[in-house]
Amino acid sequence: MSTAIRCEGVVKHYGPVRAVDGVSFEVQRGEIFGVIGPNGAGKTTLLECLEGLRSRDGGVVEVLGVDPEREVREVRRRTGVQLQSSALPSRITVGEALALFASFYERPADWRALLTRLGLEEKRDTLVEKLSGGQRQRVFVALALVNDPEVVFLDELTTGLDPQSRHAIWDLVRDLRDQGTTVLLTTHFMEEAERLCDRVAIVDHGTVVALGTVDDLVASIDAESRLTFSVDGRPPVEQLQAVTGVTRVEATGDRVVVHGNGSRFPQGVLGVLADQDLRMRDLRSDQPNLEDVFLTLTGHAMREGVVS
Amino acid sequence: MNAFRQLVGIQARRTMREPAAVFFMLAFAPMFAVAMGLIFGNEPVAQFGGRGYLDANLVSFTAIIVVILGLIIVPVDILSQRDSGALRRFRATPLRPGTYVAADVLVRFVISLTSIVVMLAIGILAFGARPEGNLGSVLLVAALGVVVFLAVGYALAAVLPSQGVGQALGNILVFPLIFLSGAAVPLDVLPDDVRRVAQVSPLTQLVELLRGLWDGQPWSEQWVPVVVLLGLLAVAGVVASRFFRWE
Ligand SMILES: Nc1ncnc2c1ncn2[C@@H]1O[C@H](COP(=O)(O)OP(=O)(O)OP(=O)(O)O)[C@@H](O)[C@H]1O
Ligand SMILES: [Mg+2]
Repeated sequence: MSTAIRCEGVVKHYGPVRAVDGVSFEVQRGEIFGVIGPNGAGKTTLLECLEGLRSRDGGVVEVLGVDPEREVREVRRRTGVQLQSSALPSRITVGEALALFASFYERPADWRALLTRLGLEEKRDTLVEKLSGGQRQRVFVALALVNDPEVVFLDELTTGLDPQSRHAIWDLVRDLRDQGTTVLLTTHFMEEAERLCDRVAIVDHGTVVALGTVDDLVASIDAESRLTFSVDGRPPVEQLQAVTGVTRVEATGDRVVVHGNGSRFPQGVLGVLADQDLRMRDLRSDQPNLEDVFLTLTGHAMREGVVS
Repeated sequence: MNAFRQLVGIQARRTMREPAAVFFMLAFAPMFAVAMGLIFGNEPVAQFGGRGYLDANLVSFTAIIVVILGLIIVPVDILSQRDSGALRRFRATPLRPGTYVAADVLVRFVISLTSIVVMLAIGILAFGARPEGNLGSVLLVAALGVVVFLAVGYALAAVLPSQGVGQALGNILVFPLIFLSGAAVPLDVLPDDVRRVAQVSPLTQLVELLRGLWDGQPWSEQWVPVVVLLGLLAVAGVVASRFFRWE
């Protein structure tokens, strides 16, 4: 595998605001790489430095082997960009927008197929300003892909989309990756990062606080999983405590919370209940996730008001 | 080339989809000629040396079109697209600013010149206005006027910070410029001092040039307005190309 994007010590300040403060990572070709972090973490600024749309104050950036600030046209030709906040000229239709952007490239993709893929074929003759927010978002995803890019930057690609459209776009992004396209995306949705990204960089205050696969990051914080359920009868607390991996058992009335490490202890818990012939109700399982990783590493929650 | 063709098509359709743009760029001049023709007719009057109202004034209406185009329509459209982020999206593609501007200029030029030609045709055919000079020269200068004020529009769009400022500045400037140009009110009725000030305005120079050629004066007597207009074109062109920005 070769490197599609390399950045080293990238810095961007807005006056006193250190929006990007020494970010380094590499993205391999054919990888879906996610940049996640809270509002104002510097994700958009970082992406725009990598796209060559914002001039960095320091550091090295290479996209497809060239500096996007120097080889501007080369990078424009070979990359696709979906900006977090974007617009099109007023009074043009979806089809006109796609045809127009396709005409900027020598070998554009089939934009009609793209529209179909994004569920917009019926909106071809609709003015872009008459679309719903989610439909417009999909138009901008289509525009980012209209040149069949080798690297595509997607800033908050599913914000404002309903679950169905979100899943359709996830499928599309995975297909892109499978065809060899490199995808660099930012997201607020932990589920999106967990289900879509091969690797993620967690960014806070302009710096990378963690980098790796979602599984590795979650495993690295050694956080416990939780299994919560009710039983008919007395909870077998001692037997549950003896299960391998279980660290702690809390029982209040018929409600039981089992804390444990690793992915195997839930099976042991189920085994104990079966042996005791106890019926279980209202089962809930809480796995540590990227939110917990963020909380553990930074000491504060990713989103205000959310404490896991 | 393909991008240029697409842009021309899209700019043309965008313009035709906006009622205000259609009105000011296409319909206003012909309607103005009809209205003036109906109000004043074209009977010979002493005030115009034995010629009719339209004989004397028709060609100067051109100035009203080009100044609205250059000071309001062009800067407001470009600035609103810059404010909204539409131009920034273009920046993320290989499109060159020059291609974008060239296509836009071509579309606006064709629409505006069509409007002027229709206006002159109505004055001449429906109301019997007669040029004493060469109509080809008149059209050439009308085309020059459109180009000069398109350049002014792009220069304003390049240096002004936002659509609101563009709109305000345009509205403040357009009416005095029209008033001082002699296109709507004959300059003879104005006090001498005001008339001298009016000579500084390039729009006044455009009106004088159009009238001079319409009245059959030779080009050799027109070098002042020609130099003023070409100079403005050069300055506006340099400002526009130096300072045009996608965001
Ligand atoms: N053009 C700008 N001028 C000044 N400050 C800016 C500018 N753009 C961003 N900032 C500041 O830089 C910091 C990082 O902003 P950025 O938009 O990169 O964050 P983000 O991670 O993309 O946030 P979000 O999740 O809300 O999109 C913020 O503090 C923001 O206020
Ligand atoms: Mg952002």
